[in-house]
Amino acid sequence: MKISAPFVEKVLVRFIREELGRSGFKKGILGLSGGLDSAVCAALAARALGPAQVLGLIMPYGTSFREDVRDAEASARTLGIRCRTIDIAPQVDAYFARYPTRNRVLPGNKMARERMSILYDVSARDKSLILGTSNKTELLIGYGTIHGDMACAISPLGDLYKTQVRELAAHLGLPERIRKKRPTAGLWPGQTDEGELGVSYDELDRILFALVDERKPRREVVRAGFKPAVVDKILAMIKASEFKRKMPPIAKVSSRTIGHDFLYPYDWGK
Amino acid sequence: MGLLKRPPDLCYVGAVKIALAQIAPRLGDMPRNLALHREWIRAARKEKADLIVFPELSLTGYALRDLTEEVALDPGRSPVFKELAGLSRDITIVLGFVEEKRDDPGLFYNAAACFGEGRLLHVHRKVYLPTGGMFEEGRFFAAGRNFKPFRAPFGRTGLMICRDFLQLGAGYLQLVGGAEVLLVISAAPGRGFGTDQAFATSRMWELMGEALSFFTTSYVIYCNRVGVEEGMTFAGGSFVFSPRGELLDKAAALEPGLLIQTIDLTAVRDVRRKWGFRREEKPEVILHALDRAIGSHED
Repeated sequence: MKISAPFVEKVLVRFIREELGRSGFKKGILGLSGGLDSAVCAALAARALGPAQVLGLIMPYGTSFREDVRDAEASARTLGIRCRTIDIAPQVDAYFARYPTRNRVLPGNKMARERMSILYDVSARDKSLILGTSNKTELLIGYGTIHGDMACAISPLGDLYKTQVRELAAHLGLPERIRKKRPTAGLWPGQTDEGELGVSYDELDRILFALVDERKPRREVVRAGFKPAVVDKILAMIKASEFKRKMPPIAKVSSRTIGHDFLYPYDWGK
Repeated sequence: MGLLKRPPDLCYVGAVKIALAQIAPRLGDMPRNLALHREWIRAARKEKADLIVFPELSLTGYALRDLTEEVALDPGRSPVFKELAGLSRDITIVLGFVEEKRDDPGLFYNAAACFGEGRLLHVHRKVYLPTGGMFEEGRFFAAGRNFKPFRAPFGRTGLMICRDFLQLGAGYLQLVGGAEVLLVISAAPGRGFGTDQAFATSRMWELMGEALSFFTTSYVIYCNRVGVEEGMTFAGGSFVFSPRGELLDKAAALEPGLLIQTIDLTAVRDVRRKWGFRREEKPEVILHALDRAIGSHED
């Protein structure tokens, strides 16, 4: 699972530079949450494009996450990237005032999608391309909001597990405060990923690495010493979230159909 | 036998200066890629190189999918090929393209062309099309059916394209065909965490380079591309191995650049006098054994 961080940095910096350049963009934009993933992504973007070409949007819900906002602002300052703060509370509250709910997840998803809609709007105004900050762990277990925080133009960290992102963060010289911070989706105050998932990232990543990268069957992963219930839970999460990682299926009726046999590269015409 | 027929002055041309153009072609953009070729040929000429090698699908980019048919060329009719042939009067040029012949339409080949002495000398069609995992070449390309070394201006040369090189049978046929130089053009995406300098998969190519150069007693010239397509990063790391299995030079991972290396073809003769791998090879035994193996194979 260990990465060669200096080489991975080189690959990702090139990826960001080439993908943006090919699409005719010089600038990148991303949501800054104050957490590890967006800080690493911002650091890579600053190296790839130059700090002045990167815009970090801090989008807190009201004043409930003050500490995260301070961390995000500090990251932006250290990297020298541009940064703006937009409070999403008015637009989220306006909606839930009309359609109230007791479900804690629904406002979380709504917030993620409001942030997405702001990111796309500001990216158009700023002529910049959106860098996704999802990591491989989240993408595999579906721990993200479809068309919310999962929406982006390119995904530099999508093939790195959370623990590998942390390794990269150390190589990039990110402050210990960010690296050691307990990961949270920010769904409600005090929420942590590990608390909600019921498994530590360290264990989760080792199980995912065995299942996905090493293509080991369930019984071998269990034999390696992981609890069967945890492995099963993770397998179920992977399966249940496949729809988030795909374009929706198109009902095929014609002789040539988008996604089935109309197959052009993503980089077509760029 | 090809060696015996060759006039003595051609037998030992000696030193050949080669230039490996580790470039990043633009996907689907032929005019731009052709301009890139002209530019790097000019640079190689300035270095007084005898040979310049471009990567696999260097004229078109790699992840073409349905663009394949839009960038296909017929070597006998293409003005692009006419221009490249003209450029090859004083430097041999090897590059990658998509081939479609007018008299065999609708079949697209992942192909390598060698130009020299002002004309097209040889075309090799990729035999092994990786299809599965991250690769899908078999969905879009037809497969070539032959490995036949040809006479390049500097010596007998066996062309291979990327995966061809990793299949043992291909290297064997080059040995039997008498190749002195194995020339590989590649668009190999890197994967796996290796060292601080390279992807894990780069080691696989060097391993084959070392093994094949030693056991075929030939030079191995491997030109891989760089750049990013569809999230894949091409690994670079082009290299040259001597007929003694020594790594002569290697380009950096990921970085575009022109790797210049002079090789001495008299080394092939020296090594083959010492190591009888080619002299003692028994292709007819292999042929009959293969016949038997295929005949007894359960369908």
